[in-house]
Amino acid sequence: MLSYLDRKVVRDLSRMKGQAIAVSLVMACGLAMLTMSRSLIFSLERTRAEYYQENRFAHIFAHLKRAPNDVRERVAKIPGIAGVQTSIKVQVTLDMPGLDEPASGMVLSLPDRGEQELNRLFLREGRWLEQGSRGEVLVGEAFAKANSLRPGDSLAMLLNGRRQSFNIAGIVLSPEYIFESRPGAALPDNKSYGIFWMPYEEVAKAFDLYGGFNYLTAMLAPEGKEKAVISEIDQVLQQYGGLGAFGRGDHPSHIRVSDEIRVLQTLSIGFPLVFLSVAAFMTNAVLSRLLTLQREQIAILKAFGFSNREIVLHFLKFAFAMVIAGVSVGTVGGALLGNRLVRMYEMFFRFPELHFRFDKSALLWALLVSTGAAMIGVFSSVRRAAALPPAEAMRPEPPANYKPALIERSGIAHLFSHSFRIAVRNLERRPMQAVFTVAGLALATAILIIPSTFRDSVKQILGVQWDIVNRDDMTVGMMEPASIKVHDNLKHLPGVVQVEPFRTAAVRIRFGNRSRQLGIRGLPRNRIHTRVVDGSLHEIVLPPEGLVVSDKLAEILGAKVGDEVIVEVLQGKRMTRTVRLIALAEDLAGIGAYMDMQGLNRFLEEGDIINGASFTIDTAHRSQFLRALKDIPTISWVAIKETLRDNFRKTTAASINLLQSIYMIFASIVAFGVVYNNARISLAERSRELATLRVVGFSQREVGAVLVTELVILAGMALPLGLLMGTGFATAIIKMVNTETVRLPLVLTSSNYAIATLTVTIASVLSAANVLRSLKNIDLVSALKAPE
Amino acid sequence: MTLTSSSPIEESARQGERIFHVRALTKLYGVGDTVVRALDGVDLDLFQGELIVLLGPSGSGKTTLLNQLGGLDWPTSGELQYRDMDLTSATEAALTRYRREAVGFIFQFYNLIPSLTARENVALITEIADDPMNPVEALEMVNLGARLDHFPAQLSGGEQQRVAIARAIAKRPKVLLCDEPTGALDLRTGIVVLEALEKVNREMGTLSVIITHNATMADMADRVIRFSDGRVQSIEKNDHRAPASSLKW
Ligand SMILES: Nc1ncnc2c1ncn2[C@@H]1O[C@H](COP(=O)(O)OP(=O)(O)O)[C@@H](O)[C@H]1O
Ligand SMILES: [Mg+2]
Repeated sequence: MLSYLDRKVVRDLSRMKGQAIAVSLVMACGLAMLTMSRSLIFSLERTRAEYYQENRFAHIFAHLKRAPNDVRERVAKIPGIAGVQTSIKVQVTLDMPGLDEPASGMVLSLPDRGEQELNRLFLREGRWLEQGSRGEVLVGEAFAKANSLRPGDSLAMLLNGRRQSFNIAGIVLSPEYIFESRPGAALPDNKSYGIFWMPYEEVAKAFDLYGGFNYLTAMLAPEGKEKAVISEIDQVLQQYGGLGAFGRGDHPSHIRVSDEIRVLQTLSIGFPLVFLSVAAFMTNAVLSRLLTLQREQIAILKAFGFSNREIVLHFLKFAFAMVIAGVSVGTVGGALLGNRLVRMYEMFFRFPELHFRFDKSALLWALLVSTGAAMIGVFSSVRRAAALPPAEAMRPEPPANYKPALIERSGIAHLFSHSFRIAVRNLERRPMQAVFTVAGLALATAILIIPSTFRDSVKQILGVQWDIVNRDDMTVGMMEPASIKVHDNLKHLPGVVQVEPFRTAAVRIRFGNRSRQLGIRGLPRNRIHTRVVDGSLHEIVLPPEGLVVSDKLAEILGAKVGDEVIVEVLQGKRMTRTVRLIALAEDLAGIGAYMDMQGLNRFLEEGDIINGASFTIDTAHRSQFLRALKDIPTISWVAIKETLRDNFRKTTAASINLLQSIYMIFASIVAFGVVYNNARISLAERSRELATLRVVGFSQREVGAVLVTELVILAGMALPLGLLMGTGFATAIIKMVNTETVRLPLVLTSSNYAIATLTVTIASVLSAANVLRSLKNIDLVSALKAPE
Repeated sequence: MTLTSSSPIEESARQGERIFHVRALTKLYGVGDTVVRALDGVDLDLFQGELIVLLGPSGSGKTTLLNQLGGLDWPTSGELQYRDMDLTSATEAALTRYRREAVGFIFQFYNLIPSLTARENVALITEIADDPMNPVEALEMVNLGARLDHFPAQLSGGEQQRVAIARAIAKRPKVLLCDEPTGALDLRTGIVVLEALEKVNREMGTLSVIITHNATMADMADRVIRFSDGRVQSIEKNDHRAPASSLKW
């Protein structure tokens, strides 16, 4: 049974439930963000770790031209290696009758006998390949879903130029392709690019690689050192055309998931911090007021022998009740939101099962952090309760000490109405209360700036990428590098308005002891489609010599303009040279490097060679053009800007919008709660004063005007401050979020500021209106009676 | 009514054990120029079972004296003993224990906890007492058996003050300290409250000190202490206590 003092907690709480609920809700918002993001991190990390573990995801990956199968043994003997898997990995062109554009993909071989040693597949649907079967294929889930393929359907592929029809045995997932996208593509297009698995014999024979392999993955032993093992593998594979081994840190699918986790980590700290600070402010305000109101009650409890400890505990229980309510609502809300957001990840990432997993440690964190926030909030006021001498408290409180307000001292008071003067005096008399309210409202405003910044930033980056950097309609990649003469053929395809060739080369760029593998893109001299721009979107002219890299890559390498970086070519004649960094470029894809095309070809000691082209197409002939492309066997892939844009809208933009609405709701709750609390406290503390005003003849409206004026003054201070703070938060968060695959510019628009201002204003007005309704209920007679 | 002998400390009604022993008790408030001598050398002995009325003009130091007796505050100098306990040197924790175990307070403005019912207001205190009465029994003693589950706001002033009395006596205190218990009440209700106090004193033998500035209440006391300027002016002993119901003012 509750003790009688605890009953008092319950009854007092139920009398001030509006305020308690407001505090708890603000707390809950922060805790919901906390549990949601912590749980999502937990879900992604654990799911990925288990998936990697169960399906034996490799640590090291290496592409090569061709090595005989017995090289595998040599690699396996390298110290620190626990397992090796060799296979064939080739690009194929698909013939999808339902699709306008050519589709392409990657085929990986499966051992003819037995299971894969590493990177084992997960069978989602259908069956495994039958031993010794021909004409069967396993299809990656993302592609299968995007094209509505089921086991039993057939699929036509061009294997090394020969068209062949395959029967889909099963739909599978691979730990290597949690994020399924064409290498080098910033945005996935699962409709026109897929991953497939076939028996070794079938692929090997089709590509004249039988008896050898061109892709090797290795698993590290617990004591294995990645760097050392990589260089040993490189040594072994060098004579077989090795393109340079790399670790998980360079693995495209792995990086994408890691980046997402990093973004979540930022969210899991930043936002809860903001919300919980507001909650701490509010707890303090509510408890201070409670203590002021209960001065005599505290004295009585002390007079009857309750100890300071008991009294402090008693008041902490109020805070704790709000914490418990906040934690309950927050964790349940966080779990619900998390469940919803996990489904969003299913659009991007392919796991056998991505369940929402509640991070129990998040609950503990939530409790700890919110208790901490509440304690900070109540500490000073409760200490005041303990310090209150019982004899003192029985004496009536001296009248409030009003001084002429600043505006009166400044001699311009006559310009203002009575309500304005009363409001200003009250604010000056209770500066802390005013500070808390301003801080709370400012934080609510600030919270709103952040998601809109994200949205605007993504919009801007896509604008830059699609309207300024890439001005083509489509980009086409070729199976093998070809002579520049192909250019003429491409020019004469139906509907082509403009065609512009390019050349890419796989390299490793090194500076000091840091390095990155990527493709250098060689661009023609006079170009319209692909532009290389600097931070202020001015075009960078590519001279015959020298290298331009993206900002992010320079940051990763620690290099600056003027430095000489080492470029190790991972194909062809495989030379290593130093190149001067001549400029830094702004790039959506994060890491990128550019050279003049002729310069690159000279550098590679190859002739005039291209391996792709971009097009401007006459829309009237679009489908003719695509059909014609499908008939060119050397075309490996096509990226259609419109399709990417569409995909983007359906996935990334949709998820950003979802997040934005969540923030919008949360910020409204904060604004509503803060204003509600302030107005309630003002009303309660000054019911006598306000009643007196009514008694001496002020109308209800005029009395209301006093409170409203106060709020307007506070909001007038809070909004600009909030916009400023929001700008700061957004800047910090965008900085933290930026990774190799996500590169967001800071974009602050006036509509962003306007939405934040408007939302907070509306929430405040609704909240104040709610409180003002209770002005009607001020009982004039009892408010003027002696205090109980 | 007879005047006592010249020494005001010397008491003639040794009804029982000495509860309070007060000598040269001084209490100063403030510092420097603004210092106020609220108590200025008080000498006093109070005994078990006595009903004391403390009379004096407003500002004469009555409440201050009561606060010292009740362990709500420390005196500036002088001797103050509750039985064997030296209240002047007691720690805060010791004073808290003293108040919890030995003292019942009644204040002018009742000071009930508004969010608790009559019964709960009493039970709140009995819960932390060693050998308390049943809260209902205490409330019946002040004739409030029918108002157990009312909140203070639902009770009249006199009823609230009787709840306060029940709350003060329910733990069977050694001392009952009442600061102007009828100050906020009209005559009729005032008398009902005083009857309750009288009954408690008679039936439980509790030393009761009642502060008032209403001289008519002097008749119901065993001894009347007159106070002014922080000092005891005189102590009178009544041969017969007049019943509270007969008081008029
Ligand atoms: N906490 C205090 N601080 C300063 N002066 C006080 C305090 N408490 C009482 N006094 C002063 O001490 C004197 C005695 O007060 P009090 O004991 O309340 O008188 P009474 O109860 O007889 O009216 C008064 O002058 C009063 O102003
Ligand atoms: Mg007094």
